[in-house]
Amino acid sequence: MTTSENTHDTARSADRREGKPRPVSAGADEPVEVRLSVNGTPAVLRLPPRHTLADALRDHLGLTGTHLGCEHGVCGMCTVMVDGEAARACLLFACQLDGSDVVTVEGLGRPDDLHPLQESFGHHHALQCGFCTPGFLMSSYDLLSHKPGIAEEEIPEELSGVICRCTGYRNIVSAVSETSREHPEGVPEPGNCAHRALVGRAGGQAAGLPGGAEGVSDTQRADAASQDVEIVLPDSDPTVSVEVTTDLDVPFEKVWRVLDDVHLLATCLPGAELTDDLGNEHYTGRARVAVGPIKLSFTGVAHITEHDRESGRIRVLAQGQDTGGAQTQADLTLVAESTETGTRLQADAAVYLTGRIAQFGRALAGDISRRMFEQFADSVKQAATSGQAPTTPAGAPSALRLVAGTLATRIRRVLRHIGLGKGNSRRGGTPTDGFRQAG
Amino acid sequence: MKAAPFAYVRPTRLEDAVNELAGSDGGGKVLAGGQSLVPVLAMRLARPEKLVDITTVEGLDQLRSTGDSLEVAAMVRQRRVEHDRATDSVPLLRMALPWVGHRELRSRGTVCGSLAHADPAAEIPAVAACLNARITLTSPRGTRQVPAREFFTGAMTTALGSEDILTAIRFPVATDGEGFGFAEIARRHGDFALAGVAVRVAVSGERVREATLTAFGVSDRPVTRDVSTELASAVSASGQDGVRLAARLPEPLADIAQGMVDTDGDAHGSRDYRRRLFVTLSGRELAKAHDRALRGINGDNP
Repeated sequence: MTTSENTHDTARSADRREGKPRPVSAGADEPVEVRLSVNGTPAVLRLPPRHTLADALRDHLGLTGTHLGCEHGVCGMCTVMVDGEAARACLLFACQLDGSDVVTVEGLGRPDDLHPLQESFGHHHALQCGFCTPGFLMSSYDLLSHKPGIAEEEIPEELSGVICRCTGYRNIVSAVSETSREHPEGVPEPGNCAHRALVGRAGGQAAGLPGGAEGVSDTQRADAASQDVEIVLPDSDPTVSVEVTTDLDVPFEKVWRVLDDVHLLATCLPGAELTDDLGNEHYTGRARVAVGPIKLSFTGVAHITEHDRESGRIRVLAQGQDTGGAQTQADLTLVAESTETGTRLQADAAVYLTGRIAQFGRALAGDISRRMFEQFADSVKQAATSGQAPTTPAGAPSALRLVAGTLATRIRRVLRHIGLGKGNSRRGGTPTDGFRQAG
Repeated sequence: MKAAPFAYVRPTRLEDAVNELAGSDGGGKVLAGGQSLVPVLAMRLARPEKLVDITTVEGLDQLRSTGDSLEVAAMVRQRRVEHDRATDSVPLLRMALPWVGHRELRSRGTVCGSLAHADPAAEIPAVAACLNARITLTSPRGTRQVPAREFFTGAMTTALGSEDILTAIRFPVATDGEGFGFAEIARRHGDFALAGVAVRVAVSGERVREATLTAFGVSDRPVTRDVSTELASAVSASGQDGVRLAARLPEPLADIAQGMVDTDGDAHGSRDYRRRLFVTLSGRELAKAHDRALRGINGDNP
């Protein structure tokens, strides 16, 4: 058996480590804070010690690509990269990994730019039911990145750590062999590691957000909210990009007066409500979105990063989380420009959606967002004309029912697709539970 | 398959780790790589009240040659030992490591953890027993050394007391005139062995000075026998011919197998089948090790 290893790779993976774990002393089921880098995104979780990395990834960070089979280290379904080496996520308690760098199958490639191993698995029909595929991909990534140019006859034995019950081993071995031949110097690094929002059903989230993580008390949330929060936008492509330009027959000065007054401006944003001024251009707020039976209520933080009368420009970064585990982040730029007939208002928004909300797909989310900005422009016009909050506050859910109406057919189709059409009895009955309220 | 709740501590000093364990009144367990312990917890075969994670304990990540021995401290992971040049000095350990679990387990599993867990079919305990490596145990009363052959006292049972932490193992470095062999048979690569052998042969010139045979997976612990006499007579009868030597060895080894292989057998292999595996593997590996000792080469391929 060959024991040679690409030592350069080993050194590089060691360099990637974020830092050593911190000392801990926690009672049974007392949450332990764990800092991780997951697919390039920093994440801070507070979990009882017995929670495994697999549970943390799946339940708390929404990364369900890591599958669980036996949960005692035999089947290899949950194989992920930890600090540059493949490991079983079911045999690691998340609390052991404070400061570690984790790459899951979600980080390996992008839907439009797959990793060569993923391409090769597809080409060779190396998956049937697909359950073992994440495990095989991560195990073979580990193999080819540490042992480039491995002898073909060694590959079956090296892949023995993952089980396929469709008995597709022949095709899996072919896929890995071909990738190995095509990348004699080692396979490319994972191609989908970047800052992005991570949200699971059980709470927990990427770092940088105030509150929301499991085990965080309300006091701690308040503390977090009262500090300046750095809003980190994902590096990945936004879920939705909206660009809406509206010509208003109102002079620039009047429009700017609305944009200049944060409280007034907030009343123009559909569903938005300003709840607190944290100072230093930071605000907390709520945003409600109601689309047919779906009602989401995001609480979060907004930070006005640019505010310039000269250029008529305002830039707002915002992020919020819904109790159901949906998360949104937005980068919004408003530019008001004087024209012959009045003012041209341009809104550019990059919206990032995570969690179940993201399953609605780009098109529908884009349509809704666009309509929201059109409403916003109308409200600004009203407020600019009257100098007061718009009379039909855009925040009222009724305003959005209009949007929902125009999209009803499409929503029904999506609901059928994601299996929510008959309601969802699995969710708890909290007062803010949108699905239950929707009846 | 979720572990029962446990308290979790991760101290930075060995003294604190030892005290945490001692203070848990027998309800504590050391967590290093966890690759043997976590499955036991997941199946709730064990419900320790407290896990003492020694990941951050200072000084436990050392892998170093100290003249006549290779010291592997408690937090040194198997994959690191597998690929570190320092391991060249202990060829038997290098030969055995690729057989330990899978790549995905060796990345987290530690050498010392495998010793502390002491599965009778595990590879690293067999290597330790064959070389009679010295195991360091640390407790609130201090540090002591236990020879590996005295360390394993039964299935998953060792000389470790409830207040002891296995902090390091020292493998003797190979010297000139030594040759080694290692082999096992498992139902698939990475499974625990049905039977396996670790072999050390030392020669002076052409004379067999010492031959040690350790078998694993065949009893409740690794079993070690001095087979110098058997090897020496087989060598002289075969006139230094490797092929004839391999053919001569099964006969004396078959007698030895009666004593060494005492497992009752299971669904995967009866006692007699394991005895046959033992005879075949040990004959083959003794011949290889003898050849390597004569030629001064301890590579993978003779």
